[in-house]
Amino acid sequence: MTKLEEKLQQIKKEERVGLMTHVVIGYPTLEETISIAKTMAENGVDIIELQIPFSDPLADGPTIMHACEKSLENGTKVKDAFIIMRQLTSQIPTPLLFMAYYNTVFKYGVEKFCKNAQAAGASGLIVPDMPIDEESEEHFLFFCRKYDLHNIQVISPASTEDRLKKNAEVASGFVYCTARQGITGAKDQLDQNITTYIEKVKSFFSVPVAIGFGISKRQHIQALKPHADIAVIGSAIINIINKSNESDTKQKIKQFLLELKS
Amino acid sequence: MKGHFGKYGGRYVPEMLIPALEELDQAYAVAKKDKQFRKEFTDLLRNFSGRPTPLVFAKNLTQKLGGAKIYLKNEGLNHTGAHKITHCIGQALIAKRIGKTRLIAETGAGQHGVATATVAAKFGFSCTVYMGEVDIARQRPNVFLMEQLGAKVVPVPFGSKTLKDAVNAAIKDWIENVKDTHYVLGSVVGPHPFPTMNRDFQSIIGKEIRKQLKEAEGILPDYVIACVGGGSNAMGAFTDFIKESSVHLIGVEAGGRGKKIGQHAVRFPSGSVGVVEGYKSYFLQDSDGQLQKTHSISAGLDYPGIGPELSFLHDNNRVKFVSITDQEALEAVKTLSELEGIIPALESAHAVAHAIKIAPKLSKSKTIVVNLSGRGDKDIFILTKAFKDKKFYEFMKNLVEEGI
Repeated sequence: MTKLEEKLQQIKKEERVGLMTHVVIGYPTLEETISIAKTMAENGVDIIELQIPFSDPLADGPTIMHACEKSLENGTKVKDAFIIMRQLTSQIPTPLLFMAYYNTVFKYGVEKFCKNAQAAGASGLIVPDMPIDEESEEHFLFFCRKYDLHNIQVISPASTEDRLKKNAEVASGFVYCTARQGITGAKDQLDQNITTYIEKVKSFFSVPVAIGFGISKRQHIQALKPHADIAVIGSAIINIINKSNESDTKQKIKQFLLELKS
Repeated sequence: MKGHFGKYGGRYVPEMLIPALEELDQAYAVAKKDKQFRKEFTDLLRNFSGRPTPLVFAKNLTQKLGGAKIYLKNEGLNHTGAHKITHCIGQALIAKRIGKTRLIAETGAGQHGVATATVAAKFGFSCTVYMGEVDIARQRPNVFLMEQLGAKVVPVPFGSKTLKDAVNAAIKDWIENVKDTHYVLGSVVGPHPFPTMNRDFQSIIGKEIRKQLKEAEGILPDYVIACVGGGSNAMGAFTDFIKESSVHLIGVEAGGRGKKIGQHAVRFPSGSVGVVEGYKSYFLQDSDGQLQKTHSISAGLDYPGIGPELSFLHDNNRVKFVSITDQEALEAVKTLSELEGIIPALESAHAVAHAIKIAPKLSKSKTIVVNLSGRGDKDIFILTKAFKDKKFYEFMKNLVEEGI
């Protein structure tokens, strides 16, 4: 059993909604990425996704896009992502995933990327713009399997039954469902039909279900129980980072996480 | 999987866009075979856009250069001033068939935005056009025109604030509003079916060239030259000749101000293969796959990617690529205006400039067709500045001093 699968089993056993958070590598700086991720791990976060900044992030809203832009301006390179992954996996037990756009993986070389990600201790990859239809061309899933990485499939409320079925066939670890048809970003309200949607997804997938996009509050997470296995918080934490200075970032994130779980 | 050109093309988008692309793909496949659709499309091209556009013999230019005969396919005589209206009409008809009520588009120079706003007005769609802040600053007149046509023009403040960022913004809008919205992608780029669909719509250019040149000279052209940003006018002009091995096809890229990164938009040979904005092709990118800055005096050529089919044709040596600098393009605008009475768009002037380069070296028995993708009216502010027209500057100053 992998580190991620063990964590997912533990969440299930404890009958709670697990928490996955997100950082953009190199935002605000590489050093702070490390300390932010550690803060998350120390305050009850179950899984962390480390986003590799990309110049043209198709699925991201303004908050994450801005963070990617800043990180790239700071000079963050893809090789830094592997260094950060290695440092974190040696310091915290939390399963870590890379989130990247496919050009980053492709340009690096799909096999080399997967091999180095495994070597750095990553548990899996989230690559939203690498659809299953292009597998015969890219061999992305093949190399994820070869190097023991969970390929986290991303689906949306617009996904047809045919698409859900196809994604379910290759799903590994858990399935990442976007809570709404849209791009990333914290929202005030969750979609009212969310539980119906989660139940529909569960009828196709045997792996646990994570819900992301627009989740930022304790009430959101409460509403997902007992339907979803994991809640994903992305932009909301970047908003906190944006509103704080270096000295109080950690404290504010800690406070936010405690409130979420209270 | 459909939509591949060798290893290029494809549909590399988040899962949430796949249903919309499948719907579009199916609707287009059905429409393509539907007589009624073809009739309506052809009728609009003739009676709304003004096709066929003329193929003009550039007699004075040919005589001056003393080599190959030069013909100009004057796409600038289309309604709204460029070839872009053709794929906008086609896509608007498809959008209507699948019950969409809103059109969105990206635009660089503003030509595609104006064309989209035009068909939106004609067919009763609401319309939003995304345009980079940098492009808005240099192409204000087209913003005004789009607004007159009832479109909302949304400035894009992120990235390089140019065409590629407008594409990103439009894709995001589409992701959020896919139920009622059709994205009128403006070139032969993006995820399948856009490269194929836009190529098919634009291929009328090459078909007309073939017919018109046959009537005029009884021959096939020896050379077809077109400028290449994303590649819609080039694929339009080339497609009908790809199987004719005697016809040389030349794509002209923006050489800009020089060879340094950020100073040009030359994908061949500076680019490398990548997967961005939903398709695999050549892109100007660094070793980490981050897209690089580009420059061209013509906003329509200032794009780091290129249509996937053109990458395929490049690798097969079927289309040869060359580049023309800002300065050479400006000179070509002057030459064509003075000798032929046609003011070309700065984009199209790149193709003209290359014809001017090669025609003298070719024998008089050879024939070159230059695809003049658009007319130059839209460039008046860039041209007056580049030509340092003091009187125009005074005119502008007086206008500003007078106030609104």
